[in-house]
Amino acid sequence: MIWNFIKPVLIFIPLAALQLVVIPLISVYDISPNLIIILIIYFTLLNGQIYGTLLGFLLGFIFDLISGGMLGASMLSYTISAFIAGYFYNENKIDINTTSLLFVLIVFLCGTIYSFIYSSIMNVNPDVSLLKLFIDIAILPGLYTAIFGLPIIIFKPKKGIV
Amino acid sequence: MFNFLRRFTYQFKEYFLLVILIVISLSFLASNEKPEVKKIRTFALGSFAAVNNFLNFLTGVFSTDPSIDQLKEENARLMLELNRLRKQGVENQNLRNMLSVPDTSKYDLIAADVISKLVNKIQGNIILNKGSNDGIQVGMPVLNSNGLVGIIADVTDNFSVTKTLFNSSLNIAVTVQNINVDGVLSWNGSELIIKNIPTTYEIKVGEKVETSDFSTLLPPNIPIGIISKKESLALGLLHTIYVKPFADIRSVSNVFVLKVVSSRQINQLEMNLMK
Repeated sequence: MIWNFIKPVLIFIPLAALQLVVIPLISVYDISPNLIIILIIYFTLLNGQIYGTLLGFLLGFIFDLISGGMLGASMLSYTISAFIAGYFYNENKIDINTTSLLFVLIVFLCGTIYSFIYSSIMNVNPDVSLLKLFIDIAILPGLYTAIFGLPIIIFKPKKGIV
Repeated sequence: MFNFLRRFTYQFKEYFLLVILIVISLSFLASNEKPEVKKIRTFALGSFAAVNNFLNFLTGVFSTDPSIDQLKEENARLMLELNRLRKQGVENQNLRNMLSVPDTSKYDLIAADVISKLVNKIQGNIILNKGSNDGIQVGMPVLNSNGLVGIIADVTDNFSVTKTLFNSSLNIAVTVQNINVDGVLSWNGSELIIKNIPTTYEIKVGEKVETSDFSTLLPPNIPIGIISKKESLALGLLHTIYVKPFADIRSVSNVFVLKVVSSRQINQLEMNLMK
């Protein structure tokens, strides 16, 4: 059980460094992909909703600490996103969920939800209309993140296909 | 009864877990300013920033040239000096005998590199590779050779977090240079705006915006940007002014921290307002 958490945490460390250093270089008008959410969704689809929710909470906590952001914001956003991703978990369809286009759709959905929750928490300015900016702050980052989920379904070996 | 509760809890265990984790997250959100939490954050930020710094070094290994950094620093000094002189020139014409402008050219500049960014439409944060060991303190302005980039929000021994202008929690007292109209600059999620400027002022597109004399957090006359457009509100009594920043904040990689040590008490008060 502990190994189930250690493995994603070990992957998370270099991924978080990439997220903070390299990803800003490819961001377009502050819209950037989120590699951490891809990691969380992938492991949620492998191990289930409860595991995913706990993993989202744990990785969100670490990310808040190392990113200089507000402590609790990523924690909450990743927890809820992972919980929603957990609804797509099916013990008998793990391979289909993680190697088909459905995975990209889940990443898009959860990436959008993450970005919206995170932006809502971070916003303290009443002049900022979150609903007016919904496309900019939620859908576009979700879409960009989904594109980065494509390599997983392309390169992950598919089982049971002759 | 006990069995029922046990079955109920087991049946909805996912939801119970979610609620518990949300409550913990919210309690963390509420305790961000507690000294113990700050201490943990400072430690974690400082430790991981070293990793980011190394990765940043690897990504920028082909583009580093020390002479360019020196020239950029000189450019930043000259930009401040030029802006001060320009301001004095305008004021000389209008208020010959009433001049009292603080000298911004005497401030020291600390060169720093951006090692990581938290890219978000609402909250722009960057992490710099200089910290309290280099003399950086919370509240110091951060600029590049073009103009203001942001303000130091958090400091560790070797690293510091900067809130950029593209951060909805940052409000800065500014003035429109030629006509001395004061206002508060803020980020609305897509543009920098100054709200509620009376339409009686003849504000033209293209006029320069700089930090105001009213701000004790930032020294006056630091250039911020130019007015890109203005909009009248429904009744036509007030303007909303849109400002395009001089500094390309999204792609900024080298900055300077203006070593301003102003009143700690006022700083504290203003930083509290900024939160």
